[in-house]
Amino acid sequence: MQADYAIIGGGIVGLSVAWGLLRRGRRVIVLDGDDGSFRASRGNFGLVWVQSKGLNQPAYARWSQQSAALWKGFAAELGEGAGTDLSLRQEGGYDFHLDEAELEARVAQYSALRDTLGGDYPFEVLGHNALKREEPEVGPRVAGAILHHQDGHVNPLRLLRGLAADVRRQGGQVLTSQTVTDVTQTDGGLRVTCASGQVVEAGRVVLSAGLGAMDLGAKLGFAAPVRPQRGQVLITEKLPKMMNRPSGIIRQVDEGGIQIGDSKEEVGLDDRVTTPTVAAIAARAVAVMPRLEKAQMVRSWGALRIMSPDGLPIYQHSPTLPGVSLVTCHSGVTLAAAHALRLPQWLEGDADAPDLEVFSERRFALS
Amino acid sequence: MRMVDLIVIGAGPAGMAAATEAAGLGLSVTVLDEQTAAGGQIYRAVTGAGAQRGAVLGQDYLDGADLARAMQASGLQHLTGAVVWNIEPDADGITVTWSQDGHAAQMRAARLILATGALERPVPIPGWTLPGVMTAGAGQILLKASGLVAERAVLAGSGPLLYLLAAQMVRAGTPPLALVETQSLRDTIRALPHLARGLRGWRTLLKGLGLLAELRRAGVRRISGARDLAVEGQDRATALGFAVGGATQRIACDTVLLHQGVVPNTQASRALRLDHDWLAAQQCFAPRLDAWGETSQPGIFVAGDGAGIAGALAAAEAGRLAACQVAHQLGRIDAGKRDARARAPAARLGAERALRPFLDAAYPPAAQVLSPADDTIICRCEEVTAGQVRGWARLGCSGPNQTKAFGRVGMGPCQGRYCGLSVTALLAEAQGIDPADVGAYRIRAPLKPVTLGEVASLDLAEPAE
Repeated sequence: MQADYAIIGGGIVGLSVAWGLLRRGRRVIVLDGDDGSFRASRGNFGLVWVQSKGLNQPAYARWSQQSAALWKGFAAELGEGAGTDLSLRQEGGYDFHLDEAELEARVAQYSALRDTLGGDYPFEVLGHNALKREEPEVGPRVAGAILHHQDGHVNPLRLLRGLAADVRRQGGQVLTSQTVTDVTQTDGGLRVTCASGQVVEAGRVVLSAGLGAMDLGAKLGFAAPVRPQRGQVLITEKLPKMMNRPSGIIRQVDEGGIQIGDSKEEVGLDDRVTTPTVAAIAARAVAVMPRLEKAQMVRSWGALRIMSPDGLPIYQHSPTLPGVSLVTCHSGVTLAAAHALRLPQWLEGDADAPDLEVFSERRFALS
Repeated sequence: MRMVDLIVIGAGPAGMAAATEAAGLGLSVTVLDEQTAAGGQIYRAVTGAGAQRGAVLGQDYLDGADLARAMQASGLQHLTGAVVWNIEPDADGITVTWSQDGHAAQMRAARLILATGALERPVPIPGWTLPGVMTAGAGQILLKASGLVAERAVLAGSGPLLYLLAAQMVRAGTPPLALVETQSLRDTIRALPHLARGLRGWRTLLKGLGLLAELRRAGVRRISGARDLAVEGQDRATALGFAVGGATQRIACDTVLLHQGVVPNTQASRALRLDHDWLAAQQCFAPRLDAWGETSQPGIFVAGDGAGIAGALAAAEAGRLAACQVAHQLGRIDAGKRDARARAPAARLGAERALRPFLDAAYPPAAQVLSPADDTIICRCEEVTAGQVRGWARLGCSGPNQTKAFGRVGMGPCQGRYCGLSVTALLAEAQGIDPADVGAYRIRAPLKPVTLGEVASLDLAEPAE
C-alpha cells in the first residue's frame, strides 16, 4: 500500500481534506488534473460566507457557521505552515438591496432561520443612512443591506497555493496532470488507475474532483448528481481602499481590485464570458457604488460552480466500493476549515465525527 | 445592432490591404483600429509624415502611405481610436465590442479578419524595468510619431529592426553609441543553409545589407555574440554591461533600446480559443490557418504578423488573400475569379516568406531571454520573477493558468500580453517538455482595460440614470 488515502482532485476541497488527514498523521497521495481542467478553485469569489446558506436546510447553515468559526485557527495554522498570509477578514459581510420589498422579504427569511437556529444568527438590517455610515461609497439607489456578522472573506488564490505548499511540506504527495479513469477493489485496499497509466494503491479513496464526479461518480457507486453552473466575475484595476466589508456580489480584494460577480447560468461545461452578462454585472455594481463607473475593468472570467440539485454539499460513503467516499460542494472556500478539521473524523468514523447524514445522497432518492 | 459583411481589426499593412481588397469586391467593410490614423506599427503616422521625417524613416516606410491612401479611396468605414475589447462568434455571425472616446459600441459582421500584428518579444534581463530602458520598437514609435531620437543610446539585442533603427538614428543626426548584438557567428553559420531558398526574397536581403553598409560608413560600433546583458543604474539606466568572449564590457549611456525580435500578438485569437501551434523557429505561438488565413473558427481569419512573423509586405499579401476568400464565401465572386485574383498575392507572399527561415536562424532570441535568471522580473505588472515561476512549477503547476492562480503572474493590466511566452518557456524548461504541451494563458475580455461605466452602458435591461 502506497498510502492510507488517495484523494482524487487537487482543488481547494481535495487539498483541504488531504491537509486535515496529513495533520492526523495519515499518508496521503493527491491526484490532480491539468492546466486546462475546470477549476472552481481558481475562479471563485473568495467568500467565507454564512448568510443566505441553508435557508431551507438549517443543518447547512450550521455546517457553514461551524466552518466559519473554525476558519481563524485554520488560516493561522495553514498560513504558518505555508509561510503565507491568507488575508482572512471576518468582520461581517453585506447583502445589498436596491429594492425595499426584496430587502424586507430577505429579512423575513433570515428571521425565520434565526428562530430555527435558536437565535444564533447574528445579523442586522441597515437602512440607507446607516449603511452609508459604514460604507460611504454606496450610491443613492441602494435601499439598504443586511449585515451578517459571521461573514468574511479570504484571498482564495493564496488559500489554494498555501494548501498546495503545506500538503507537500507535511509529506503529502501530489501527482499532477492525472485523469483518474477507475477505482477497483484489491486484496485489502483500493487501486486508483489513471489515463496516463499511473496506478496508486491506497486503503481509502476520497472523490473530491468537483465536476469530475460527473464522469467518475457512477463508476464508484455514487449518484453524484452534480452539474456545472456558470458564474461570471470581473475585477477592476487596483484601487485605494473604498470598501470596509465584502458583500455577496462586490468585494475589494486585499490587493486592491474590486471583484464583482456573480451570475448563475445553466450553460453546461462552458466557462466563457459573455458581454451581456458582464454588462449587467457592471451595471449593478455601478448602481451600488457609483464611483466604480470610472474604474478600469482589467479582467473577467467565467467559472463553473459544482451544484447539487438542492445546492447543498454531498458527503457520502460508497455503497458499492467500501472505503470510497464522495465529498463535493460549491462552497469549497467557506467549508475549507470544516473539511480540514472535521471531515477526517467523519471519514474515519470517529465517535466525535460530525453528523453529516442530512448531506448524504439518500435525500435525492425518489420518495 | 448594425451588421456588415466584414469587420477588419487593425489598420496595419494586413488590415489595410484586406479591407481595401474586400471593399473593392463589393463587401461592406468596417475597419476598427486603435490608432488615430491608418498605418499600424510599421507605418505609424505615415499619412502625416513630412519630407524630413520621410527621409529619415526611408522609402519602405513611405510605401505604406500608398496602402493608406488606397483604403481611404475605397470608401469603407474606418473607425480610429477604437479599442476592441471583446469578440464573440455565434451561429449567425460575430459580435465585436469596442470603446471609442470613452463610449462602448458594438457591431456584427458575417466575417472577421484579425490583423492585430505583432508585439516585441519582451526582454527580461537584469535592469530592464529601469527608467531609460525601452524596446527598440518604442524608440522607433517616438521617431515616427514625434520625430524624437533618444540621445546617448545603446541598441542591444538581436534582429533586423536594430539595423533599421540604428540607420534611422544616423540619418536623424543622433547615431547610437553602439549596437550590441546577442546573435553570434555560430547563428549566422547555422542560418546559411536557408540562404539559397531565401534568395527568392533577395530584395529584402539587399536592403538589410544596405543598412549594414550605412552603419559601417557612419562608424557605428557593432559588437556581436554578446551574453549576460544587464542594465546598470539605481534610479535609471546609466550603462549596459555584457560579456563577449571571456571579457566583460560596459558602455555608459542614458538610454538602452532592447530588442529580441517580434512575435505574433495572439491576445484576440487566444480569447477566441482558436487552435494555435508552437512555431519552434520563432519561439512563439501562432493561430493555425488554412491557405486563405481562415482559423479553426469558421468565418474568422487572421492575416499578417499575427499569424507568424513574415514582415509588412507579406502581411499585405496575406490580407488580400483572406479578403478574396471572404468575398467568395459570401457569394460575391466564384472560385475561378477568387483563384485568379489570388494568384499574384500568393506568389508575392511565397517570395516574402522564403527569406524568413534564414532570418529566424540568423537572429534567434538570446538564451538569457528565453530562460532568465531566477531574480529577473518577467511579469512587470505584478513584479513576478523567473525564480518564482520555477518555484510554482515545483509546487505542481503544469501550465500558465495554474501559475497565474498561484502568483498573479499575467493578472495585471497587460493581461499576460508580455509575460505569456516567458512563463510558457519557463514551465516547459522546468518540466522538460515542449512549449506546445505547456500551452498558454487563457485570455478573456477585456482585451484592453475598459471602464466599468462603459461596460455598464451596454446593459440594455438597466436604463441609464
